Amino acid sequence: MNVFRRELAAYRKSTITWALSLSGIVVVFMALYPAFTTDIDATRQLLSQFPEALRTALNISLSSFFTVYGFFGYLLGFALLAGSIQAMNLGVGVMSKEVSGKTADFLLSKPITRSAVVTAKLGAALVSLLVTNVVFWTVSYLAAVMVSAEPVEAQTFFLLLSTMLLVQLIFLALGALFAVIIPKVKSVVSVSLPTVFAFYIIGAIGDVLENDSVRYVSPFRFYDTNYIITNVSLEGRYLAVEAAFLVVAVALAYVIYLKKDVRSST
Amino acid sequence: MNMFLREMKAHRTGLIWWSLGMVALVSSGMAKYAAYETAGQSIVAIFETLPKAVLVVFGMQGFDLTKASGFYGVLFLYVGVMAAIHATLLGASLIATEERDRTSEFLYTKPISRTRAVTAKLLAGLVNVVIFNIATSISSFYFVDYFSKGEPVGNEITLLMVGLFFLQLIFFSLGALVAGVVRRPKAAPSIATSIMFLTFLLAYLVNMSEKLDFLKYASPFKYFDALALLTDGRLDPLYVGLSVAIIGISVFGTYYFYNGRDLTV
Repeated sequence: MNVFRRELAAYRKSTITWALSLSGIVVVFMALYPAFTTDIDATRQLLSQFPEALRTALNISLSSFFTVYGFFGYLLGFALLAGSIQAMNLGVGVMSKEVSGKTADFLLSKPITRSAVVTAKLGAALVSLLVTNVVFWTVSYLAAVMVSAEPVEAQTFFLLLSTMLLVQLIFLALGALFAVIIPKVKSVVSVSLPTVFAFYIIGAIGDVLENDSVRYVSPFRFYDTNYIITNVSLEGRYLAVEAAFLVVAVALAYVIYLKKDVRSST
Repeated sequence: MNMFLREMKAHRTGLIWWSLGMVALVSSGMAKYAAYETAGQSIVAIFETLPKAVLVVFGMQGFDLTKASGFYGVLFLYVGVMAAIHATLLGASLIATEERDRTSEFLYTKPISRTRAVTAKLLAGLVNVVIFNIATSISSFYFVDYFSKGEPVGNEITLLMVGLFFLQLIFFSLGALVAGVVRRPKAAPSIATSIMFLTFLLAYLVNMSEKLDFLKYASPFKYFDALALLTDGRLDPLYVGLSVAIIGISVFGTYYFYNGRDLTV
């Protein structure tokens, strides 16, 4: 419990900064929404002249794209990118800081098992993400209600928002796994940033080329916003993929950390 | 010279991985183009009728996707982002690493001035950046040419790679500047990359709305925008001047602040 509280306190400032920055991204982009809607009608007409095949290729569903959900879904892509960096930083940071901060000897000589250490640390990281999400969801919802001329359907909107937490969990687990595998993490962002961006780019290129198999590789493409908007539900297949990944990654993180030869500081 | 070699060695493995990553990015991106191209329909004409914001959403604003070079233009944004991440982290960690690893006392009891230390570090970083650029250039030339089916692409790629080099230098020097100013060595890479990420988002914002056009000067990603480079066929002297100014001020600032402050021990 002490480790848990210690980590929470250590990440308090960073959590606040992240929550505010993520909310800031949303507010700035949502402020553009009114300007975006002004040429809706003209665009709609143009788009409806497109051949059907082309429209599906471009992944626009006319009914959803110009709504507040469609627009939010688009900007959510950037928020997801930023949020994933936060999550991966957390995962890598929380699991690697004892070695990089040369406090591993201190902590592990205390009467506390390694698995309790992992549990406390991952728990604290999870709480930090939850807090971030509560702030992010609230601000996003309020922003959407304010800029949208029509009432915002809470269920659809919060399903869109839930992808934030879902994607963050993946990167938290991935980060924790990386941190226990890499012998000594010198700089957290040097590990997390390239990884997150690599997955983002894989997803983005796959998107331009409408390559479906990419969806299983990049967490950024697990939860398709158009699907959520039309069906008001998440795709069960990808939830299953995510659940499986989380279980495997977290289990591996425990197993490896339990057996690992932790570097001593001297 | 010792320090220069020491830093080259310290970043060797990282550089090899980054270079391989760039080769993978360019090759897999262009390979996908081949698959895309065979499906071949000229949608460019239709695209031109759409409002700006909608095109940005598709991420293919104005590029001629029927040509290999046009497709590479789409890819270039991501090549640029990866290069920027590499350069930022490199600049920040080179300068901050002594304090982070608590080796600054060791280093500065040696008969070496801080100015010389920073010079050695920056030079090592510069060589890293150049190698990164060469790896990216070679794979770009090779793979774009491979998929272009005879269309000459040399000039376009050269232009983009020069732009990429400027982009790298800007973020490298910004990273070094942040590490030179910030007292907490662990925070330096995070702060530097946050700045980079912010300018990346800014580039998207500028694309989305004409009203925000003035913000383009705040985002280096807009200085070397693939679309503008491919359309104009040359670098914009204004942006080149701005880049040189940013790089110059950052490098000067790195020396100035790093020489002038208490090191964390």
